Order: sequence, then structure tokens, then C-alpha cells
Amino acid sequence: MAKENKPPAEETQIEEIKINRREFLNIAWLASLGFLTLSLGGVTYLFSIPRFKEGEFGGIVNVGTVSDVPRDEAPPENNPKVKFWLSSTEEGALALYTVCTHLGCLYGWRDQEDKFVCPCHGSQFHKDGQYIQGPAPRSLDRFAIRTVDPDTGNVLTESTDGSPLQLPEDPEAVIQVDTSQRIKGDPHA
Amino acid sequence: MIKTLNIQDMRKKIGTAVDNRVRIISAGLGLTELRAVMRGDPPTEKPNPRYKVHTTSFIFHIRPRYYQAGSTILTNTFRLGFFTTLFFIIESITGVLLMIYYTPSPEKAYLSILNLMSNVPFGQFLRDMHRLGAEAMVIFTFLHMLRTFFTGSYKKERSFTWLTGVILLGVTLFLSFSGYLLPWDQLAYWAVTIGTSMAEAAPVGGNEINLLLRGAPDIGANGLLRFYLLHVVALPFAVIGVLSIHYYKVAREHGISLPARFEEGDVPPSEVKEAKKRIDFIPDLFTSEIFWTTLGLLILVLAITVGGYHAGLETIANPQVTPLDTTAPWYFWWLQGMLKLGDKSLMGIVIPTIIVLLLIGVPYIDRNKYRSMWRRPWAVSIGILAVIALVVLSYMGLLSFGIESDAATRIVQDLAPEEGVGALREVPYDQLQPGVYVVNETATKNMCPQLDFGCPEFEAFFTEYTRRINEAEAAGDLTNAETVLVVENWQQDLKKVTFRIGWTVDGENKTYEHSIFIHADRINE
Repeated sequence: MAKENKPPAEETQIEEIKINRREFLNIAWLASLGFLTLSLGGVTYLFSIPRFKEGEFGGIVNVGTVSDVPRDEAPPENNPKVKFWLSSTEEGALALYTVCTHLGCLYGWRDQEDKFVCPCHGSQFHKDGQYIQGPAPRSLDRFAIRTVDPDTGNVLTESTDGSPLQLPEDPEAVIQVDTSQRIKGDPHA
Repeated sequence: MIKTLNIQDMRKKIGTAVDNRVRIISAGLGLTELRAVMRGDPPTEKPNPRYKVHTTSFIFHIRPRYYQAGSTILTNTFRLGFFTTLFFIIESITGVLLMIYYTPSPEKAYLSILNLMSNVPFGQFLRDMHRLGAEAMVIFTFLHMLRTFFTGSYKKERSFTWLTGVILLGVTLFLSFSGYLLPWDQLAYWAVTIGTSMAEAAPVGGNEINLLLRGAPDIGANGLLRFYLLHVVALPFAVIGVLSIHYYKVAREHGISLPARFEEGDVPPSEVKEAKKRIDFIPDLFTSEIFWTTLGLLILVLAITVGGYHAGLETIANPQVTPLDTTAPWYFWWLQGMLKLGDKSLMGIVIPTIIVLLLIGVPYIDRNKYRSMWRRPWAVSIGILAVIALVVLSYMGLLSFGIESDAATRIVQDLAPEEGVGALREVPYDQLQPGVYVVNETATKNMCPQLDFGCPEFEAFFTEYTRRINEAEAAGDLTNAETVLVVENWQQDLKKVTFRIGWTVDGENKTYEHSIFIHADRINE
């Protein structure tokens, strides 16, 4: 009960107390230690975060030139090492993440049925990754994809939101997939 | 009016809620109390909440509630034990981080260090930090032991603490040494080869110890893995275990020793009373430890970023070639010095064993009950002699001592060492103009008139070469020296620099020739 009476008295005291030399120094050292710890924390973060080389999953992958892309009717092309299917539709090219959005199995292409089917729980997807049926909660995930001029390295066309990529006229243009940027597929109703 | 009252009420409620949270985290210290701690004010509540922390909080329960005022005098301890522990903690943290990129296999170890130094953000910084922290830990462990010896703090109830300290010194040295091999460069490989060979000299079981350490007759994949496991698992666990005992003895049993003068009646009783006054851990010692921690970290970071300390890396380990200047780590120079004095088993095993036994036995050999330096002349003189012996032996362990290498080889090795940079490789590529430069004939000034800005670095290098040759000639090591330096264009972007030194011994002509290839894109300039 005595406690409850005390705090107000102390509160008013705090406002009166001015900072003394010792408190200033203690705060200064604590702040320096905090600053050092934060900086070293930042160093630790930058040190520990993985860096991906070009051509490795997690980094930017050169798939080939525009002329290599499987055209409209051709089946999608699997790139298992860098984990995407390069699929081409009437709207353009897509890089679909090889992992099913349900529980992480690897789905396959059924040429006769013209769709992707997951062997684990039977989720099915269109050639452009759109959900058809099955337990999967959303359409297939896609990677950002772009085409660059082989000589200058300038970006010709680019898709960062998962929409199909318009392929440029130049058959020599290089197609690059950024496997660090995965765009989640649209959830179905 | 009612509104303002409400706001005040809310303020109070929030204040109390925050205060309660803070009390839970800080094991009983409220906001007001924390401020008082920072200010060095007496406790604001009764009973003193600063004592309760020592029973309820894990971190503080291993710390003592108070120290005796006399034991906190800076010159009594120099905080050496504290810093040793701090460096051990820094080593543990940086070590775990370095393990992210390290692979303990001969094929990958060296590459992982190269990757760390050139490709990983702050990789070199963390490696430097780990290396510098290790050096500091060895130095502070040693200084801590010296301090304990000279203040006589190993006596009576502290004798067991001394024993654990000697074990910690050994484990620290071994920790540092086992880390030596991991970069898998020439220095690592050969320093550890020499180190483990010393075990071979043991009359009983030396060969077995060697096999256990190396996992094979010579160091290879097995040896690297074994040293790695020792370095990252076994030895750190040993340190944590023994350090816990060591610290528990200090914190809970006998405390940090008072300076001898307070125990042996050299000062008036009033001062003794003053020295035995209790200083509470919170606030005084706690805030001072924050200060020392910050200072220690700051010095380490500044030594690397501003001071330019860098952990070295030589060329990849080559079991077929021993580089010319192979040395043990500096804290084993004394042992290397002893090995130059005599037989390998006597100097490498028997005498070190005796030294270790003597160190362990110090509290039992020294029966003098006094602690003051003036009252233990024998112990102090022996201590000083031991330190001098250590320094002299370490000096004898240096390369320049006692190893006979002929003057010509020495000069060339110093100017263009097999490992490292040296004066020649520091000369910019453009300044190496093809030609034959004869020592004492070619003028050391204006050596390359065809270059707009001349070649000051090359001239400095050639002057140094001339000086070394003349010095050796004056000392009688090279008689009738005929010395040239030849620079040739060897391939595109590649130059060949040849040292050719001729001299006569007993009327017989001798020559030493050594060539170095220097590429335009090499990294050291």
C-alpha cells in the first residue's frame, strides 16, 4: 500500500533531477555499445546473407535467345537446375516455378492433356500456370523475366509482375530469368 | 477539467504498465531504480532491489553482489581476466560466423578463405577480428597470470583457482594453435607440421599422440578435420567448463584478492577498513564493465579499420615444398628457441613438461605466507628471471638467430621472399625496365631516363640491394662479390627479374642465382 502512494512523489522528483556527470557518461558508453552492437549486427547480416552467382538458382539465369523459346504449340521446357519451366503462350513467355503451390511437390507436364499435373495430390494447371482444379490454393508462382540486347545489355522487354513477357523481334535477344524475384500466383475463388 | 484529469490518469496507468514490464525483464528494477543506477544514486526502494537481481536473473546470479573496494583498484587487476573473457566471447561469436563460409577439407579450405576475403561482405573484417581477438586473448591470458603471480594471489584458498588458470592458459594456446591450420596456406601447414612433430619426440606415446592429432602419418584431410573439430568444438567446450570453475571460485568462494598491503598491516587500520568496504555490483561495477566492454570492442574494431591490422594469408599449402622462412606462432617462439639449444626430446618435451609442472606447483612450492612483493624476494626474482628467460628464448626463436644461411640466399630472400611481398614486388611494374644492373657500377640515381617520372621505387630497391651486398662484403660474408640484377621482358605482361651473386670462398668461385617472375596484373604493388 505504501508502494501505491510512492510513485507520484517520485515522478515529480524525476522531472526535477538534472542529468549528472556520471549519468551522462554511463549513457554515452551505453549508447556507444549500442551503436557498436548495431553496426556489428549489420555487419553480421551483410556477412551472412547469401549471394548468388549468375546462372545459379537465386540469381539471374540466362535461358538462351528468343529463337530458343518453345513456340506456341511446343510443350514447356523444364530447367530443373534453376527450378523453372519456360512456357510460351499466345500472350508471351513465362518462367513458372517448378514447385506446386499446394505442398511443395514437383509437378510435371502432360503433353496429351496439355496441362501441368502434380503427382502428389493431383492439382492441375494450364500452360500459363493458371489453376484448373485440385487442392492447390493458387495458380503457379512465376519469376520475373526480361529480354536484353546481346550487344548493349539494355533491357528490351521486361515483366516483373508475373505477366507473360512480350518477345521482341530480334531472335538474338537474350532471355533472363531473375530467380530471386518470385511472384506468387493469383489465389482462386 | 475532467478531460485533463483523465489524461493524467492514463499517463499514470501507462507509466505503471511500462514500469511493470521493465521490472519483469530487468528482474526487479523499475524505471526510477534504473535511472538511479545510471546516476550512481543509492537504491530508491526497500528492500534493495539491486540484490534481488543476483538471485532472480541468470546473467547476474553468477556475478558477485559486491566486491571489496580495495580489489577494484585498477592497478590491482588491470581488468586482465575480464578482458580475457571478453575476447573469448568475441572469438566465439566471430568464429561461429566464419564457420558459415568455411569448409574443412584440403580442396576447399583455402578457397573458402579466398572467397571470404574477396567475395563476402565484411568477410575480411570478421576474419581480422577473429585473428586479432585470438592474439589479444593469448596476450591477456599471459598477462593475467603474470599479475596473479606477482601479487601473490595464488596462495592458500586460491591455489586451486591457479591450477584451473594454468589449464586455461594451456587450452588457450592450443585453441589458438589449432586455428592456425584452418586456412590451409603454407604458413599454416608447415607451422603445424613442426608443432605436431614436437610431440613425436616424447619417449612414450609420442607417435600415438601424433597419429591421433594428424589422423595420418602426415597432415592431410584427416588432420585438417581433426584440428577443425578441436578448434570449434572440443577446446571451446573445455574453455567454457574450466572457465566456469575458475570464475565460480573467484566470484563465490574467495573473491578478487585485495592488494597485499591491506592484508599485511602496511597501512593504518582506517585504510584497511576503507578497502574492505563493499562496493555493490549494481551500479558501480556493472556500469564500469559496460565501459570496459565498449572500450575493448572499440579498440579491436579501430585496430582493424584504422590501424590496418590484417590476418595474413600465404599461398595454398603445398606438402611438397617447405618455404624458406617457416616459423611457429609468436607465442611458441620460446619453444623454437629452446629447440635450437639442444636435443629434440630434452628441449621439446622434457623441459616444457617440467615448466608446466612447475607452473602448476607454484602455490605448493612457494610456502612463504606473505603476498607483498617486498616480502617474497625469491619468488619475485624467479618470476622476473622467468620472464627475461622467456623473452631471450623467444628472441633466440627468431629466424635471424642461429640459423646459418649463406649471405646471398638471405639477401635475396629478404628482398623477394618466397611468401609475402618484399621490396622487389613493391616496385611498380612499369619501373622494372629491362637491363643489366651491376651493383656498385650502375649509378643508383636516374636509372631510367626513358621514363617521364623516373623510377624512384626501383632506385630505392636497387640502393637497398647494393647496401645489403656491401654490408655483407664488409662483414666478410661475401668476398670479391660480383653482383648483378637482370630484368628481362619474358612474355607479354610478364617480366623476369634475376638476382645473380658471385663470390669466392678459399679461391673457389661460387654463384647464387634466383629468378622471380612478375606479372603486370599482380595484386601487390
